[in-house]
Amino acid sequence: MSAVSVLGRGAHAQLAGGLGGTAAFAPVRRFDVDRRRVRVAATLPEAGSLGDELAGVVREACERAGLTPAQRAATPLLLAVHGHPAAGRVSEKHGSTPTAAGFAAELAASTELGGVAGVYTCACVSASTAVADAAALMRLGRADRVVVAAGYLVEPDQFALFDAGRAMATDGAARPFSAGRGGLLLGDAVSAIVLESGARDPLAEVVGWGRAGDGYHTVRPDPEGAGLARAITAALRRAGVLPAEVGYVNANASGAEGDSAEAAALHRALGAAAATVPVSSTKSVHGHGLEGSGLLELIVTAQAIHAGKLPVNAGYLGADPACALDVIVGAPREAASPYALSLNAAFGGANTALLVRAS
Amino acid sequence: MTTAELAVLTEVEWPRGAEPPAVPGFVVSSFSPLVTELARRCLAERHGSAPAPATVGERTAALLVTASGDAESAAHVAHAVDTGARVGPLLFFQSVPNSVAGHVATQWGLGGPVLCVSPVGGARETGLARAGLLIDDGDADEVLVVCVEQAAPPAAGQTGDGPSGSAFLVSRGETR
Repeated sequence: MSAVSVLGRGAHAQLAGGLGGTAAFAPVRRFDVDRRRVRVAATLPEAGSLGDELAGVVREACERAGLTPAQRAATPLLLAVHGHPAAGRVSEKHGSTPTAAGFAAELAASTELGGVAGVYTCACVSASTAVADAAALMRLGRADRVVVAAGYLVEPDQFALFDAGRAMATDGAARPFSAGRGGLLLGDAVSAIVLESGARDPLAEVVGWGRAGDGYHTVRPDPEGAGLARAITAALRRAGVLPAEVGYVNANASGAEGDSAEAAALHRALGAAAATVPVSSTKSVHGHGLEGSGLLELIVTAQAIHAGKLPVNAGYLGADPACALDVIVGAPREAASPYALSLNAAFGGANTALLVRAS
Repeated sequence: MTTAELAVLTEVEWPRGAEPPAVPGFVVSSFSPLVTELARRCLAERHGSAPAPATVGERTAALLVTASGDAESAAHVAHAVDTGARVGPLLFFQSVPNSVAGHVATQWGLGGPVLCVSPVGGARETGLARAGLLIDDGDADEVLVVCVEQAAPPAAGQTGDGPSGSAFLVSRGETR
């Protein structure tokens, strides 16, 4: 695995930042934000282009997994992105519109992978859906090894849209599940993992996954969390894991009002265990990486349970009765179980749950 | 199992040159109205009017397959950002294709996975492969696949082709 975010380069930097629990939001220097209501995000100052950063994490993940050139050439790519970075700014004389699949093909070629097996443009569940599909392909015997990559680098168009939608916090902090939370903040998230069926010495195992829709509203989450609860239940069922065995939840919560829907989903899916399982959202530290978020958060989660230390939920001001969870505040906790959930939800009422086990 | 064994329950094609009716809440672009109308025509053949019966709807996924996505909205936002114009709040909600997929799921009571993919190869083949995976993996019994492309801007003095698309509903055999 490999990742790049405001917390630094490399997978270990992500865990260190998550355990440190210091929010990394700062004034945006990457582009002009003078016209925006909110002017902070979690950006890595020296980040390259999205294509270059994605190629970097794919190469590093393949090297760390020890893939030979021949193995790489036989390994397909699943990519999660918003779209082709040039989309929206193509002149008419350019002809055809650049596509996300075309971007994925360029990435697979530049990293010498064996083509593209899937390109996910489903907003904030793009990366987690790609991981779920990759795991499904392996369970069904349709693939032995895949590379999943996902990336978002904070850029002016999405920033402007989130600002126009009044979705971002005006007080400079994302405060998941907290009283007084005022919205999310964006952050860089570029990651890649090599998933292999029956790997001999894995860093972590994806043992369960689930995807389900709310069917409730175009963009708002179901306040009762029924769709996310079904995704969680599907993930546990696939793994044969009981709710009480889950030792950590890296929540989707972004600091938005809808965090309470996720709390409801956890209670619905986990029952009594929801009140005692340690929960944090690492978005509070590295920001919301949109299409890249699910993979960055999965990497943080996998590393956390591998290390036996659970990341902090930064920005927490106090309990919100609508979010009755055991939120990890102040300092990291010891992990009491090798199982952890990484949850994601998106516009359209899309929900995913990934269950990982520490190796 | 292979995708060849998938049963296509209903299928509709978008008539060449036609424009979809507007959908409240979606602005600037024909992308989301086209998805909504294609889904309506396809699901109406199966279920009559919305919503779908709960037992089927809860296990039906909404899958949107589009290479260039909502290119019209993306270009509108990029132009506004580049020229310092105001970005309207409604554009935030339609900034990702998931939103209209969720709009369809809400209208029709679909509780299966909601996802959007960019086709690798043909849109229909990509849709069938992804739908087959969702069904075989157990997260859905039926999958509504909507394939949509907005037309490229017409050359000067030419009339555009209009948007294109199709929608089909697939399952593995008869669903309860």
